[in-house]
Amino acid sequence: MPRPEPQFITFSIDGREVQAPANEMLVDAAKRGDVEIPVFCYEPKLGAPVGACRMCLVDIEGIPKLQTGCSTPVKDGMVVHTQTKRVKDAQESVLEFLLINHPLDCPVCDKGGECPLQDVSFGWGGGKTRFIEPKRHFKKPLELSPLVAIDRERCILCYRCVRFSQELSEDYQLVLHERGAATFVGTFDGHPYVAPFSGNIIELCPVGALTSRPYRFRARPWDIENSGSVCTLCPAQCNVAFTVRDDRVLRVMARDNDEVDDGWLCDKGRFAYQSVHAEQRIVAPMVRDGGVLREVPWARAIEEATLALKKSGGRVAGLAGGATTNEEGFLLQRLVRDVHGSPHVDSSAGLPRAGLLAMGDPALQATVADLEFAHTVLVLGTEPVDDMPIVDLRLRKGVRRNRMTLAVATSRPSSLDPNAVLSVRYAPGAEAAFVAALSAAFYGGDVDTPARAAGTDAGAVAELAALLRTSGGDEAGDVVVLYGERVLAGGEAVTQPLLKLAGALGLSGRAGAGLLGIPAATNGRGLREAGVVPDAGPGLAELATAGADAAGIAASLTAGDTTVLYLMHTDPLRDQPQRATWDRALDKATHVIAHAGFMTEGIREHATVVFPAESYAEKEGTIVHPDGRLQRLRPAIGRPAGVRAAWQVLDELMRAAGVDTGLHTVHSATRQLFESVPFYAGLTVDTLGGKGLRWWEDEARAAAWPEPAKPGLLATVASSTPTYEAAATPNGALRLGTFKSIWASPEVEASPALKFLHPTQRVELSPVDAERLGIRHGEHVTVGGDGASVAAVAHLRNESPAGSAFLQSGIPEGAANVLEGPLVEIRKAQST
Amino acid sequence: MPSTTDWHPGDDQVVVVRGPKPGGAGGAYRIFGETLRGLKTTFARVVEGTNTIAYPEEKVAVYPRFRGRHRLHRFEDTGLEKCVGCSLCAAACPADCIRVVAAENTPEHRVSAGERYASVYEINLSRCIFCGYCEVACPFDAITMGNDYEMSDYHRSDLIFTKEMLLAEPLERAPIRAEGE
Repeated sequence: MPRPEPQFITFSIDGREVQAPANEMLVDAAKRGDVEIPVFCYEPKLGAPVGACRMCLVDIEGIPKLQTGCSTPVKDGMVVHTQTKRVKDAQESVLEFLLINHPLDCPVCDKGGECPLQDVSFGWGGGKTRFIEPKRHFKKPLELSPLVAIDRERCILCYRCVRFSQELSEDYQLVLHERGAATFVGTFDGHPYVAPFSGNIIELCPVGALTSRPYRFRARPWDIENSGSVCTLCPAQCNVAFTVRDDRVLRVMARDNDEVDDGWLCDKGRFAYQSVHAEQRIVAPMVRDGGVLREVPWARAIEEATLALKKSGGRVAGLAGGATTNEEGFLLQRLVRDVHGSPHVDSSAGLPRAGLLAMGDPALQATVADLEFAHTVLVLGTEPVDDMPIVDLRLRKGVRRNRMTLAVATSRPSSLDPNAVLSVRYAPGAEAAFVAALSAAFYGGDVDTPARAAGTDAGAVAELAALLRTSGGDEAGDVVVLYGERVLAGGEAVTQPLLKLAGALGLSGRAGAGLLGIPAATNGRGLREAGVVPDAGPGLAELATAGADAAGIAASLTAGDTTVLYLMHTDPLRDQPQRATWDRALDKATHVIAHAGFMTEGIREHATVVFPAESYAEKEGTIVHPDGRLQRLRPAIGRPAGVRAAWQVLDELMRAAGVDTGLHTVHSATRQLFESVPFYAGLTVDTLGGKGLRWWEDEARAAAWPEPAKPGLLATVASSTPTYEAAATPNGALRLGTFKSIWASPEVEASPALKFLHPTQRVELSPVDAERLGIRHGEHVTVGGDGASVAAVAHLRNESPAGSAFLQSGIPEGAANVLEGPLVEIRKAQST
Repeated sequence: MPSTTDWHPGDDQVVVVRGPKPGGAGGAYRIFGETLRGLKTTFARVVEGTNTIAYPEEKVAVYPRFRGRHRLHRFEDTGLEKCVGCSLCAAACPADCIRVVAAENTPEHRVSAGERYASVYEINLSRCIFCGYCEVACPFDAITMGNDYEMSDYHRSDLIFTKEMLLAEPLERAPIRAEGE
């Protein structure tokens, strides 16, 4: 449903005439007149109010009894009083009741000092109690989960956490047990509350009943400072506030930005800060000496890298990972291209320049907030909870509150299937055929052939096309296609029909509709725009000579055409497919220079020079959100003694090669970047501000987006017949699909609190295949193909499509990229 | 605009009245009379004998409410620390000289009576202004102002008192004045 247009009405509160949108809840409307009504259970982020705590009682003329301000919509001409004796008495009584069973252990309680119950008691309470009987007692403190501690005595039964679990994250785990004074919060089956978004209940709790276990007793509000930045652990780029004490990050809290994260955080973002201070972190430069990486002084490491780059004679390649900022990416491509004259720079964008230009066309862009208010959202080839977790909450919110229609088209069963009107499955790797079938269904072409090639049902594709076509009732409504950029690996075979589809849906230039791509890595979009792609410079400017992409770099390393590989926050063995190929390629490279925060396999085995990387709490720079929002990273803490900023290292390497970089601070790098990217023209770090800025919303900047070389991709595609590779037929074997769990990252491994979530390899199978192969759930199996094999635990999922098996990538051992696919065989593991 | 040179203070000027002019009876009184008046007090004390306190061998007894070096307390029965590491003293401290880092009690390692205890409790006595706000802020009467005033040392770092030092009995206790003394 499109965003509602607010209609302003006038009402009176405490004798003041106040303008507010009609039907806004009184608590919010009162704030417009500078009147604060105390609340506990009310939280606009949680949706419809429940009126459970009765703290917000107000006197409305014409209504005999006091009304709850949180659940009474404001009407024109309403006269509200919040300062009458009746209201005061009610507030004091409610607080007296709330405090009957609330232990007065504020000095011990972690919430003390930032506790709404303390504040409201102080501001609105009577200050005394008549209750002398013993208080209610529970066993405490208990672990609600390894991340959350629960103190049931402190709970005031506001329902916030339960509502979050039931209505926001929809994991349906938290419930209220028992009745009356004996009521307590718990999971319905008594198991720990483990969910991707469980940490949010800590921030929601208005008392100290739910507290963070990693933050437990670490600091009090007056010991700390909050420092705003952006989380760079996934493409969602949630705005966060680091809680810093004694130059250590102790906690991460959400910093509300409705356009980015809606005020929520996933547990990875909330708890993986521990990796910043992990012992495993690399905090000194290292050089491989006698086959072993040894810590060396900075000068030695720089010298080693300079020599290696010099000796290579321009046979250099650069590869940037997702945590790379725009500035680092920009300087890396300068180092490789301008200083060493090699065209090989990539950040795994996966598309040639023409494709990037067509898909990134400002007229086609949708925003994260559009997901919530669109008529229909098509999730294509991505699992939001793993790839961009916060979007998962946004989609659920859209379905639940704004009657958005959700359609899911993925190869692996999605956690959003229950919310979707229609879910279509296709064979892993058959995105091109699937999109071709969908697009054909729009244009009346042949649907059956591509649908069969995609291993999907032509009827379902037609149904999906009909759903998209009639999304806005009779006419075409606002449609947002949320696609994982991994589906674009098929190149033009995917982008062409996808653009054709976008044309058919009228997405171009339509506000509230468009395409939204989830990059495989955090700053995928920014790196692309900063020119870290093989065939385009900063601002996606055309280049004279195109370089090799990641796969090409691997081949060129193996062939010896490239001798030095510069890795920026990435480990190809983890982040790239074809692990064996990369293993060989890295082995052949004479020098592998890496900026790394953790000793992952590729770094440990192959890097010759390792520069310690800054953590995201220490970094300064800019990154770009998948929807085009430029956001600014600000350092919350100082770097460890042995760590230098990556831009400084790149600057030194360029200076050592005799180039005057003109860099003095990271801001001079930002300025150079903004000057060389035409569509960032006129931006400065100050204009980005605390909440960032979507560059394409400014018409002049949007107009600066380069024209594709082949003009009118949208117009011409109808004539060309797309060619697609048919998905492999299982024929006894299984098609291999991969997925990367939200928990598969070195930061999670290094965080003691999250370690229990770090995934081990499992293979997801349909029960049909499992029965045929005689495999039971939880059994150890080996998944093999092409001579390589991976040990995994069989995980049977009813929803899993027959004929496909799904393995995890991005984990340290036995990741999916060991296998080259597309077909695998599964056998029971030999018992030893 | 009147210049500074012709400034006139106005009618409410202060007139300094000096004593009588030197010489004469007034002068003689000032020389002898006033001096003798002072000496009266001096000689009146002669009969008391010397009253020198040979510090540091001898110490002045302080009043019971004298605010000296802080002390942390334990429960007498259980031996557990009264301090739960709530940091309220640090919040109240106007000189910002208290640092508290809390930790959680475990059944095997129980330090205080509550859920948390102070794993680090430091007072920088070179900064402390001995105002006693920490004592007022403490909800568990865990910190009180002691009577010890001998805190000088050779190194500033030695003036940062740790929890163990604050919990321990002072090496030498300052004498306290008895009631009505």
